[in-house]
Amino acid sequence: MEHSEYQELLALHAVDALDGREAQAMSAHLENCNSCRDELAGLREAAALLAYAADPAVPGEAVRQNLMREIRRPVGASPAPAANVIPLRPASSSTWSNMLRLAAALAFVALILGLFLLWRRDTAARREINELARVLDQQQHELQIERDNLAQQREALAMMNSSDARKMSLAGTATAQAARATFVYDEKSRHAMLIVDGLPETPADKAYEVWFIPKGQSPIPGRMFSVSGDGRALISDKFPLEAGPAAVVAITLEPKNGSASPTGPIYLASSAS
Amino acid sequence: MQAISQGDEFALAALYDRYRLILFGLILRILHNRHEAEDVLQEAFLQVWRRANDFDPARGRAFTWLVTIARSRALDRLRLLGSRSRFVVPVEEHQAPEKALDTGQELQKSEEGELVRRALKELPEEQRRALLLAYFEGLTQTEIAERLGDPLGTVKTRMRSGLMKLRELLRDRSRGVA
Repeated sequence: MEHSEYQELLALHAVDALDGREAQAMSAHLENCNSCRDELAGLREAAALLAYAADPAVPGEAVRQNLMREIRRPVGASPAPAANVIPLRPASSSTWSNMLRLAAALAFVALILGLFLLWRRDTAARREINELARVLDQQQHELQIERDNLAQQREALAMMNSSDARKMSLAGTATAQAARATFVYDEKSRHAMLIVDGLPETPADKAYEVWFIPKGQSPIPGRMFSVSGDGRALISDKFPLEAGPAAVVAITLEPKNGSASPTGPIYLASSAS
Repeated sequence: MQAISQGDEFALAALYDRYRLILFGLILRILHNRHEAEDVLQEAFLQVWRRANDFDPARGRAFTWLVTIARSRALDRLRLLGSRSRFVVPVEEHQAPEKALDTGQELQKSEEGELVRRALKELPEEQRRALLLAYFEGLTQTEIAERLGDPLGTVKTRMRSGLMKLRELLRDRSRGVA
């Protein structure tokens, strides 16, 4: 390819839209072409502006907390100290010097023993501190999960009381007669919550999947979730605009990685309006 | 960014607070899943923390660097989830971003954002559509041509013209024209 042809393709490269071979040729060309590199930098600046086409959105508070905790995490632990052993020299013929040497050796052994005991105590204390830190970390993590759950429950409650909220009841099918769920979503923001009760515990290789089924069209996949022994779950999701207000909400059991269209049995479904 | 590369946690927190809305919006638009998007947002800022040294102000703005990291992480996650086809959202849905913006009171509308959204609206529909497919769904030119049913050459020209117009806008702005 000629230099001018590469120039033509720079805009596509700036949004990573070149196909494999062209992209490779472009990378090789860029290594040797200053003017194309400069041009590309300008185009990448322009491409970054496309980010503004997305609606700004507010991430959960937990993201910031987790981020700050993650960057404070210490890197590795210091290795345990190794004991120094100094070999004793063989005894000489002189009795006095032998006794002196014996005394010195005994003192040395006592010193080593003392150091060893101190080191053991220190190691045990350090182990205890590490264990306590681990427990604390674990408790903080659990507390965070509890906080997140609480925030989610508050959100669900607020949404159920909102005047813009639309509410649907989901009834268990023959597969799960005891199951029931409430699906509530905000018509403006399309933010949705699903409150599930009485679903059987999710098998290890499966997951439940939410579906939005527009009238007469193929189902649109929503969030995946799992349920533990208590049969309950609270899931936040987004009600897809293209599903339309008359869509049926259903839940099926799918392989753990999810399916593009429902394959497993239906557990819960709202009635068609 | 220099402060971050020297391990200044407060500088990272300030950077997060400043860009979290736009970056989270970008990642969410790519992944359509809040949980995954929050995870990717955290990963992106961890990368910023660890690789702040790589940022070179001579090569571009910090905004561009951050957006590039966030987008590339989100597209990687999208491919990992193998869910490109699961979460295809019609391009039409995104034609009026300012409508959705009105609902979030916490969301600040930046001056630059407003300017770009207006400029995007002024782009011919086909140019905007092709650019957004590449940007938010990570599609290549061939995939875009297939998706839109247009000849490859046409798609190339449209994307190029669209991006050139955005670049002009950026230039005008830095000259204080816009």
